[in-house]
Amino acid sequence: MGTISSALSIATGALDADQEGLNVVANNVANANTPGYTEEKPDWQENAPITVGKVQVGDGVTETGATSQRDRVLERRLDQQQQLASASSTRLTALNDIQALFTPDSGSSSSTAGDIGSDITSFFDSFSSLETNATNNALREQVLSSASTLAGDISGAASSLNAQSAAIDQEASGVASQVNSLTSAIAQLNLEIESSSPDADAGTLEDQRQLDLSKLSQLIGINQVTTENNGLSITTTWGQLLVSEGQCMQLTTGTVNGVTDFFLGGTDITLQLAAGGGQLGGYLTARDVDIPGALASLDQLAYSISTSVNAQNNSGTDLTGATGTVANPLNIFNEPAQVAGSAAAMKVTMTDPSQIAAAAAGGGTGDNSNAVAMANLASGLIVNGQTTINYYSNFVSTLGATVSEVQTENTAQNASVTQLQTENNALSSVNLNDEASAMSMLENSYQAASQVFTLLNTIMAAALNLGDQTAVA
Amino acid sequence: MAELEAPAANPELKELVVEASRALALLDAPRLEELAVSCEALNRNLDSMDVGEKRELARQAREAQADMSVLRRVLQVTSANRNVMRRLREMRERRLEYDERMIREAAGGGAEAEDADGHN
Repeated sequence: MGTISSALSIATGALDADQEGLNVVANNVANANTPGYTEEKPDWQENAPITVGKVQVGDGVTETGATSQRDRVLERRLDQQQQLASASSTRLTALNDIQALFTPDSGSSSSTAGDIGSDITSFFDSFSSLETNATNNALREQVLSSASTLAGDISGAASSLNAQSAAIDQEASGVASQVNSLTSAIAQLNLEIESSSPDADAGTLEDQRQLDLSKLSQLIGINQVTTENNGLSITTTWGQLLVSEGQCMQLTTGTVNGVTDFFLGGTDITLQLAAGGGQLGGYLTARDVDIPGALASLDQLAYSISTSVNAQNNSGTDLTGATGTVANPLNIFNEPAQVAGSAAAMKVTMTDPSQIAAAAAGGGTGDNSNAVAMANLASGLIVNGQTTINYYSNFVSTLGATVSEVQTENTAQNASVTQLQTENNALSSVNLNDEASAMSMLENSYQAASQVFTLLNTIMAAALNLGDQTAVA
Repeated sequence: MAELEAPAANPELKELVVEASRALALLDAPRLEELAVSCEALNRNLDSMDVGEKRELARQAREAQADMSVLRRVLQVTSANRNVMRRLREMRERRLEYDERMIREAAGGGAEAEDADGHN
């Protein structure tokens, strides 16, 4: 039964609710610059109506708490995109370092890789010079000097790549401890959230957990699974459990074949982590794919040059009339036993320029026919069916294409993260925009950009056809 | 309707493409609409270009190709983000409908009880 005090209670309730609402707004303003803070909006609950005689009177509203305006779907999409962006960013940094080693004109005596392309040309050109005067000692010394520059630059590049791999390996190891620290914190937050807010948003605890998830997403690729009582389980993108509500599984490291591998519960998950994203994914891809790929190409180049040049020199006669034998070979470079490791080990072993076999076997000391043959190795298909310069050139081009591809991916992923942050800020942060305007902004931008792309595509196809008289597919 | 004038400055194609990617990343719809107008104007001018201008545009087109790949990828991720936001909105709408249905059912149940009481 309603009374006058009920009516007063309605008014008082409304005032209290307004005050609570103001408190929440004040809290939002106070936390506007707190990382990870999510705007809270007051929840209003209608009180049960009061019956006064035969008339039902509303009993106002009671403020029942505050709910963070977060959206887990959007936050997870953001985390996922951050994982990809972080992986490509880390990989791109490593690739840029690799590419810098082989950038033409970066070479000076202090450069690690010098300019291998020019070195190859200079080396074979030195045999062309020797052809003109096969007994000239200065020209012979020039051959050894060119060989030494080439070998030094190739082995220097290999050393730099190995050093880069070791540095990345160390960085990757460091990520494991950061991951463990974050998963422990998330497990602890899970316990607190499950205990304090099993059925509702946990406010600042939830903010803290989301912030930790965001940090974790930058380190490794993860999946999130919401569990009972507002808990959360986290797995790697390949499904290995990292956090199960209040428990976390520690990532451990161990040395396997000279590099750091990552284990979870005794299982080596390095390959999965490499493919999973985050900084660790980027580091491992650079360490296990990009650097070994570059090293393998350099090894092949060093192996082919060394074995081909040595073989040709051993087939001729040196200035003293000697010919190379198994027991006493006339090797210009150290003879590699296998392809792997050839680049790092490449060096000039010949110290006496008279041992350069410019003459053919039995051709006499003035003969230059073997010098001609050695100069002709420049156009010979001695490296995997390619000339040395073409092989090196293709290697550098392929590396450049990989860098460009990863750069494109990274730009696109960063753009995606920026877009999602804009959307998320509009939804979750202390912001005047509302969800509808955020969605509208996304739709309008997409439509306009599609139009720009179509027009540019048409213009470019037409321009290439008109300007070059060449059809564009 | 009066024809929109071509922009006073003549940015290279590469700059237009890079600017489009940047504007899309920032969801700058007004800027993208301006770029669309510029591109439309450029498209209309294609036929009236002389040989030298066409060659120049061909050079710019070649230089802009890598940046077009970037714009294409940014468009793709934007499309994926748009799908996520659309689904999000649909999910919310379904949840609201579900809540209203629950309320209606609850209200219906109450009314039936009242009617029964009333009849009784």
